[in-house]
Amino acid sequence: MFFALTDDQREFGTAVTTYLAERFDLDAVRGVVEDTAGDGHPVALWKAAGEQGWLAVTVPEEHDGLGLGLVEAQVIARALGAGVAPGPWRGTVLAAEAIRLAGSAEQQAAWLPRLAAGEAVGALSLRAPGAAVEYAGIADVVVVRSGDGLALVERGGFTAQAAGSYDGTTRLATVTVDGAGEPLPGADAAAIADLTARATVLVASDLAGVAREAITRTVAYDREREQFGVPVGSFQAIKHALADLHVGVTMAEHAVLYAAHAAGTGAEDADLAVAVAKAKASDAAAAATAAMIQYHGGIGYTWEHEAHLFYKRAKRLAGQYGDADAQRERIATLTIG
Amino acid sequence: MDLTYTAAEEDFRRELKSWLAANIPDEWTRPGFWEALGDDESFRLRRDWERDKALAGFAGIEWSTEYGGRGGTPGMKAIYDVETVAAHAPRTVNPLGLAFLAPTVMAIGTDAQKKDIIGPMLRNEVIWCQGFSEPGAGSDLAALATKGVRDGDDFVVNGQKVWTTNAVHGDKVFTMVRTEAGSQRHRGISMLLIDMHQDGVDARPLKQMSGASEFGEVFFDDARVPATEVLGEIGDGWRTAMLLLSFERGASGIGQYTEFRRQYDEIVEVARKLGRDTDPVVRGRLARVLTELECLRLHAMHVLTQVEQGRDLGFEASMTKLQWSETFQDLWEVYDDILGEDATLDSLGDLDLRPLHAQAMWSRSVTIWGGSSQVQRTITAERVLGLPR
Repeated sequence: MFFALTDDQREFGTAVTTYLAERFDLDAVRGVVEDTAGDGHPVALWKAAGEQGWLAVTVPEEHDGLGLGLVEAQVIARALGAGVAPGPWRGTVLAAEAIRLAGSAEQQAAWLPRLAAGEAVGALSLRAPGAAVEYAGIADVVVVRSGDGLALVERGGFTAQAAGSYDGTTRLATVTVDGAGEPLPGADAAAIADLTARATVLVASDLAGVAREAITRTVAYDREREQFGVPVGSFQAIKHALADLHVGVTMAEHAVLYAAHAAGTGAEDADLAVAVAKAKASDAAAAATAAMIQYHGGIGYTWEHEAHLFYKRAKRLAGQYGDADAQRERIATLTIG
Repeated sequence: MDLTYTAAEEDFRRELKSWLAANIPDEWTRPGFWEALGDDESFRLRRDWERDKALAGFAGIEWSTEYGGRGGTPGMKAIYDVETVAAHAPRTVNPLGLAFLAPTVMAIGTDAQKKDIIGPMLRNEVIWCQGFSEPGAGSDLAALATKGVRDGDDFVVNGQKVWTTNAVHGDKVFTMVRTEAGSQRHRGISMLLIDMHQDGVDARPLKQMSGASEFGEVFFDDARVPATEVLGEIGDGWRTAMLLLSFERGASGIGQYTEFRRQYDEIVEVARKLGRDTDPVVRGRLARVLTELECLRLHAMHVLTQVEQGRDLGFEASMTKLQWSETFQDLWEVYDDILGEDATLDSLGDLDLRPLHAQAMWSRSVTIWGGSSQVQRTITAERVLGLPR
């Protein structure tokens, strides 16, 4: 029995965390958030993502990728979530996953090496046409629904209309496909379900990272902040709330790790595992980021403080690929009928 | 990631399953069988069965063969926990001894204690009680007042313990006793191993809100215990107790998951019978509990991994306790609410609800004993998160 990350997997995450701490900290994130006219796509961060293999993680080695799995990908997603990092990492990885799972050999050869290296930006939308998509505005290729399947559309073949969002750690745009795009020949229902599961896991993982960081920062603050002559973290009302949040976030981390393994290996209970992970991570992130505001007091409600960056990112991601209630209905269907 | 067990562990599973299949009568698996037996008869039957199981080699799974254990792996223990629940094996009659005393004895007991205590415990020749709580010392264990006064080679013990599981069936009690007169709080306490079959010890049952009497009170009135019958050093009982309580993880999450998951299915059956399985509110609440149950399973896998890697889990035991006990209680609250207007009825049609009610009642206790949820949250906040005392 080994239900944990290996040292190599752990180091992958540490590398992302270290890079963000040293080269793209919360001040840098704030720069992106406040530059509302900008594309939300910092060049240096993207270069690092390409060079350090964050984008190549699930791309097969024959297409210049690392050939690793969803467990490794969720390690990166979690670290990016903890750093509330902007940029089209997830869309690019998922566009590559769509092409890997359902694309033709030609499509794979054309796109996977470029996406893995960060030479092309990808975006994925499994929603109906007209829905807001992360970083569609700068995408070189988008993968969208087309009839019962999926289509790949290159830049020039679609129109992206920027959609304002109060979460400044991303940029959203609605996508209108001008032609039919290029169908992904293997995009049957099973492939789309597999892709959806992988996308859901990566979002859940980002949320787990957001939630953990929100708790860690709040604990650090409440150990120092004094009222009534003592640190506010010495009050039982706050201790017990943070203890429950710690348990909840830890469980979300377990659930995401298992879902990545189950979905990545096509385990029998993968559907349940993914629904459990997304339900738990959505709730944990919503609760942890709300608590982050509350247990900082007034400063937590200011623009100047970082709590809102975490809170807003959690709000955006909690609903993606089905919110906690939708996941629970899925769980009910799987276990009740 | 490797979620499989080794070939040796799978062999063990087959062997265990075949023994269980041959040694658990069908009627024992019938809902309500144990509840209908009454406390004494149930205890006797379980005590004997568990002895036979030990003699067949299915006890002390991961403990050294030197002391009567099987010498197996932590994985085998996890398999044991799952398969015994899956086979509807009766609950152990020696829970405090097996989960807490035995690992403590193995860690700090003398060679003689290891020999004298563990084997007889595995064969249920000695049923162990835990003498910690007192009327004035519940969550605040250091407030305990039971006194031990040295008299020659013995301690003479006076005082009262309460909430003592198996009090009336117990043979011996590992007891926190203040052996230094005038000592305060954590100091001057010893963990004495007291024979309950003597005139100075009086055990009385306490009736629980469920109607059962699994616990009781133990009165010490000039009870005698040889001064050599101490676990750890004399006066160092607090440290012994903290070590002992750190074995909370011995209460296996994976076995609990197996049991609770089955109960979830039973509750779903009740919902179906009442036509409430399509109610979106009920479905949402059941799914919420199922989510926590799955997290409990994964947490158990995490704990098992840490144990196999030889890592110290430290105060993570508090998280384990919170996750299982709060989830178990939530599960049975959903059950109550599904019954709605008929929540308290003994039966619905041909469905006997009393065994289910018994679980729902029991669920009120699990967030109290073994360190209440409030105590566990404080430990988690202070010892894991590092919030100031």
